[in-house]
Amino acid sequence: MSKPDPDDKRILEIVPPEGVAIRFRIASLGARFGAQFLDMLLTGVIVGVVIFVLASTALFESEAASVLAVLLTFLLRIPYYILTELVWNGRTPGKRGAGIRVINMYGQRLTPHQIVARNLMKEVEFFTPLSMLSTAQGMSGWGKAVTLVLVFGVAIVPFANRRRQRLGDMIAGTVVVENPRMQLLPDLALSAASEASQQAFAFQPAHLNVYGRFELQTLEDLLRDPQKAGSAAEIRKITSTITRKIAYDGLVRPGEELVFLNAFYRAQREHLEKLRLFGTKREDKFQREESL
Amino acid sequence: MSSDTGQEILGAPSSAEQRDVLRSARFRLEREAHWQRLDLLVARVENAGASALNYHETRDMVAAYRQAMTSLSVARDISLDRALVDYLESLCSRAYLVIYAPQEGVGGLVARLLAHGIPQAVRRSVLPLLAAFAALILGIAVGYHLFSVDQNWYYTFVPGEMADMRTPGASASYLRTTLYDGDPLAGDTLAAFATYLFSHNTQIAILIFALGIFWALPSFVLTFYNGLLLGAFYAMFADKGLGYDVIAWLSIHGVTELSAIVIACAGGARLGFAVLMPGALTRREALRQQGKDAVKLVILAGLMLITAAFIEGVLRQRIFNPEIRLALGWGMGLFWLLWLTLSGRKPRETQGEPAL
Repeated sequence: MSKPDPDDKRILEIVPPEGVAIRFRIASLGARFGAQFLDMLLTGVIVGVVIFVLASTALFESEAASVLAVLLTFLLRIPYYILTELVWNGRTPGKRGAGIRVINMYGQRLTPHQIVARNLMKEVEFFTPLSMLSTAQGMSGWGKAVTLVLVFGVAIVPFANRRRQRLGDMIAGTVVVENPRMQLLPDLALSAASEASQQAFAFQPAHLNVYGRFELQTLEDLLRDPQKAGSAAEIRKITSTITRKIAYDGLVRPGEELVFLNAFYRAQREHLEKLRLFGTKREDKFQREESL
Repeated sequence: MSSDTGQEILGAPSSAEQRDVLRSARFRLEREAHWQRLDLLVARVENAGASALNYHETRDMVAAYRQAMTSLSVARDISLDRALVDYLESLCSRAYLVIYAPQEGVGGLVARLLAHGIPQAVRRSVLPLLAAFAALILGIAVGYHLFSVDQNWYYTFVPGEMADMRTPGASASYLRTTLYDGDPLAGDTLAAFATYLFSHNTQIAILIFALGIFWALPSFVLTFYNGLLLGAFYAMFADKGLGYDVIAWLSIHGVTELSAIVIACAGGARLGFAVLMPGALTRREALRQQGKDAVKLVILAGLMLITAAFIEGVLRQRIFNPEIRLALGWGMGLFWLLWLTLSGRKPRETQGEPAL
């Protein structure tokens, strides 16, 4: 749930026509291999079922059935990926399972050309090397060399670029990202604890000039889930660190630490937001009095 | 700076507002209901497709999406409530994905591709196509010449599995039977043979196309090699006085199949040229632009290979008259040519842009 750092290498920022940049998290190669495996499994099962039905109706001999299997895997393969990505907006069933999807990296909608391009290239980049590897045993020296070059050439591409694009993605202008999914959490400044704490503690401007955005949001994480943050002793330690750093002169009685932290969070946020409105963004405690 | 003040004045003060509430918290209180409605609509589309919404709901969703985008933009500036900004980020990206989704039907797409997408792409690739044809023809000429000089070249070019017993040492009568008998395979397994040919040829075409990305050279080399093979093959039959028959035997499917290989080569060349000479663009950008036509060329090559495999595996084993074989083969060639040159021309359209 932690907020992705904008400088994070795995974040892709795209600008939709509305002009407000939105961020996606680039899918890991592991998730993509998982999705690919699921899809292959699924197409395999579809072909298997068709063959089984045809064979059990006794219309075909076993040999003809095996021919049909080869033809079906080939004819099903490319259209399967193209149609599922087209109909479900960049998600094959395997990608749905893995929680990833294809998006247009230029902030437009995904076009059919992109879907077709990246999946045709999948044939080139994935299935052909795969089948060549499986038949490499009987190849001549040249054949082996070509196979090796092809396999390494295509395999290295997704590792070699920041967006984890394979060649097909580059040609099509697509990126595979994680599905965005999140809950709206309550505003801490409006919670009951905050209401109760408001009267108990008062802060002077000097107290609030120490910390910045980063520290505030770390405190936010802590307050949303105090159990996760640790025992009462640790919270006590955090509280004493804060009071020492900001030179808070009031008294925080034992058992009142969370109330204090809530009050401090609220006051600190109000202060920083006010500074922001006047153009001063304080990112962390190391940044002082810098007007932007 | 601050959120739209108009709304703050108009909005009835809620109970929370009467107390002392942070500015960013108030911003959130005022808009949360809108966001949650958008959230609901987006979730419905995600689960059941855009048809799940009626006209009004769809319109509301788009309006709410724009509002949420504005809120996101403002929230990034004024709010330090991380939960809020994160939520808006994910809500906006989900709504964006739902709203900017592909809108084409599958049927219309195929029709458009056949009617003008593919022919136009071919007409924009005249130069690579000519180069690929040149490589093939050069290969044929060299293969023919080398075979005339020394027959042993044949064994160097032609892989054993493909030659069967068709080697320079075989008798003319045997070679004749390979052209006119239903091939070594009986009628039952014609389909199997066709399938084998299809996957074999497809793999070669894919290879020719894909390796083109390495500066276009491998595409031309492989096409040249294909020609070499063909030239030697033809020379062997011509040597035994079967030149006309082998041309007929090859034409029936070869016109389509070799054209498919040449087209795949041209597609690969366009990718290779993009990498080799990106011009003012970055390589990635050049690749993307050339990819648009390259993809269409590959689809065309695939279509032609399916047709060729059908002809090769089924018709060639049934039709033995060389004239009909010639007519069928070159007739198919004419059909491709007419389709690719004439289809998809708009009345006012000027000649296709320069090839590269």
